[in-house]
Amino acid sequence: MKEEYLLKAAEPAAETNQSLVLSPLQDIKGFLFLHIGRSFLFLVTCVSVLAVLLIFYFVIRQALPFAKMASLTQFLTDTRWQPESDQPGFGALPFIVGSLYVTFLSLLFAVPVGILAAVFLSDIVSFRIRNIIKPVIEILAAIPSVAYGFFAVLVLAPWMQKRLGFSTGTNILNASIILSIMALPTIISVAEDALCAIGAELREASYGLGATRVETVFKVIIPAAHSGIIAAIVLGMMRAIGETMVVWMAAGNARQIPTPWWDLSQSVGTMTAVIAGDMAETPKGSAHFHCLFMIGLLLLLFTFFLNTISEYFLAGAKKKMGKTR
Amino acid sequence: MDKFFTGLSGFSIVLLTAALLIVLVPMLLKGGSAVFFKGTVEFRKMQADIFNRGDDAALKNEKERTRRAREFIYDSIETFKNGIDPAALSEKVRQINRQFGEQLKDKGIEGEDYQSLRSIARELRDKLIEAFESNDRNLINENIKFVFSYKQDNRLANSGMKEMFAIAEKFSRAIENVDFQKRDRYAQSLGEIEEIVTQLLGPKPGEPVPVLAMARYGATRWEQAEKLKEQLLYPVRWVGGKPGEPLVAEKYSRQEEFKGTAIEPLFGYVDKELSNMLEPRRTFYWQFFIDDSINSHYFGGVGPEILGTLLLTIVAMIFVIPLGVISAAYLVECSTENLAVKIIRMCINTLAGVPSIVFGLFGLAFFVLYLLPLFGAPSKGNILAASLTLAVLTLPLMIRASEEALRAVPHTYKEASLALGAGHFRTFIKVTLPAAMPGILTGIILSLGRVAGETAPILFTGTAAVASIPKSLFDATRTLSYGSYDMAVGDRIAAMVPHQQYGMVVTLILLVLILNTAAILLRWKISKKLRGH
Repeated sequence: MKEEYLLKAAEPAAETNQSLVLSPLQDIKGFLFLHIGRSFLFLVTCVSVLAVLLIFYFVIRQALPFAKMASLTQFLTDTRWQPESDQPGFGALPFIVGSLYVTFLSLLFAVPVGILAAVFLSDIVSFRIRNIIKPVIEILAAIPSVAYGFFAVLVLAPWMQKRLGFSTGTNILNASIILSIMALPTIISVAEDALCAIGAELREASYGLGATRVETVFKVIIPAAHSGIIAAIVLGMMRAIGETMVVWMAAGNARQIPTPWWDLSQSVGTMTAVIAGDMAETPKGSAHFHCLFMIGLLLLLFTFFLNTISEYFLAGAKKKMGKTR
Repeated sequence: MDKFFTGLSGFSIVLLTAALLIVLVPMLLKGGSAVFFKGTVEFRKMQADIFNRGDDAALKNEKERTRRAREFIYDSIETFKNGIDPAALSEKVRQINRQFGEQLKDKGIEGEDYQSLRSIARELRDKLIEAFESNDRNLINENIKFVFSYKQDNRLANSGMKEMFAIAEKFSRAIENVDFQKRDRYAQSLGEIEEIVTQLLGPKPGEPVPVLAMARYGATRWEQAEKLKEQLLYPVRWVGGKPGEPLVAEKYSRQEEFKGTAIEPLFGYVDKELSNMLEPRRTFYWQFFIDDSINSHYFGGVGPEILGTLLLTIVAMIFVIPLGVISAAYLVECSTENLAVKIIRMCINTLAGVPSIVFGLFGLAFFVLYLLPLFGAPSKGNILAASLTLAVLTLPLMIRASEEALRAVPHTYKEASLALGAGHFRTFIKVTLPAAMPGILTGIILSLGRVAGETAPILFTGTAAVASIPKSLFDATRTLSYGSYDMAVGDRIAAMVPHQQYGMVVTLILLVLILNTAAILLRWKISKKLRGH
């Protein structure tokens, strides 16, 4: 048995009768395959580019007729939103203000908590505990927005009405609280990445100089990671401003700018909510229909702008990381 | 200071976990009651009638037992009603009078006999109706006495007029304990009682079967029945506070209100015997996940919604997986960081940042209003358009996940394969891709979860609150996500059945959570393998 095996091993490997030098035809074939393959892959990859272009093109295409039907300055500055009346008013200002309201208020909750949590995860606890906490954040991120909206309408809103004595449960505060919970996972994970990327040297140097943990975090780590943290905040903001279901369900869909401005128990409508709410009942091709697309375009430009900012800061964070390493 | 800071940041994590629990736990508990609950006999009747389920013989016994237990309720309401609500009695008396005339004609009685009998009957009728409508006890007694004086008259006693005497007797018994001053209030309260009893026990036996399935059965769930019982025994009235202040809710006892009347024992009976009338039993209604809904989710389950969600998700995945993996392969294997790749990356990031509602607008403008008419399909939302919209939405997620997975494959694998003479393509297919597969799978599962939960992009592109089960990709469909929205906000009937509302949203959450847990476990396994355990 063993001898047989040895015999086999001693035999030379089966020789190929292919020559090792490729014929010109094979060479060209290989060359063509490689390049055709590559260009095919490239084309498939370009689908994302195509998608972005198509999104912009088609949203603009449906939004443009509105510019002919009504005035854009009125659209941006008027507060009267009566698209179906005889003298239609297409003032989208209440919705823009409403979007900003819930976005900034939610960031007011989410940013401190998010950054503290990120610091906690990156600087305070051990790897093992971090692995336990991470799924919590992931699950928070995974819960569908409609489920958050459901919670806001059927659990939080009645509670607010009953316990806080608000006249309506669906209001700025409600939507903002839920939005902040939804923005938290984004903020935490991006900020934590940025904080972790700082590396141990800076921390050790700071501790070595006798700095306490608070000093290290606030005077060394956060300044060093500031671009990543700003990117985290901007991404959280994008998440909040682009969210539809929660604000549609929980913000109350009012068509006014809240007065007085500090009263958070009032209802507002947001840009996303008005699109979601009005689109179904709007006849296609009407000024109202195109106006909703105009709001969508505004939203798209807004998030595009924010995205560019976050890209800039993320790239900054990357560059800095390269320097410190 | 240091400790304070540590505590504060730890507190933020606690806050986070608390938020997760506060959001999830109440919804999961309430949603669980859509599947685990105490079902009454009405539930089993409904299941047998609509879904053809359950043990017929046992149900028949149950029906018989509960019918007997319920008899007392209907009897006491009937007795009381005779004294309170004379309209029905008056109508009956008039009818008897008419029939009596016809009977006389049939018997061949004519002439003076006929005239005199008719006039007597008419007089009796008038006296009785007067008695029914009067609030004066003396007058009533007098009238009834007058009616009874004809009881011995053979010409009347052996005819249809017998019934009239029976009614008079019943009436005189019913009013024995009735306070006439309260008649109107009693009548109103009695209407409420009858309404609640119908909701509790279903339509009265012998009445025509209602058209709507939701009206055909009483309380199908025990907690519903208990709530109705509370309403029956201790209704709420709104009491005016001082002027300018809101009204205050106040409970009062209906038994006290009806003290001394024929209906009084009903309340004690309902309190004690309700479980005999409904026979609640622990039920595990797993068919909730496959049943169609009846009457806007009043009964039934979320079967079509689950089907629609899966359909949308799977069709979207068919498009997005190849696209995502191939794009990632190009970005990892072929590209150098030139301008084109920079633009592609920027576009992927932009795509990831587009709000979901804008995807919805895009899907409407491109797929529904532009592409479908181009191919001659009707320009309305359907599964295909919705899936494609969702595919575009998850494309960046898919690319990023696949890219990360491909990049995580050690260079040595690839180099070994190349050194053995395999080409780039073969190396990718046989070595890199299998090694990256678990990571890609994690990405796919996460995308699945994301797609299943999205609502805004499919609002205008292919979902509906009411739709039949789709037969092709060109039909609109119900989904769990839009269903949850509709049940929470739009649907009036749904507000009456909270377990159905929560059941829907919890099904969605569970679906997403299961997918995410699977992804987390998978990733955990990969990282364990990479660390070399």
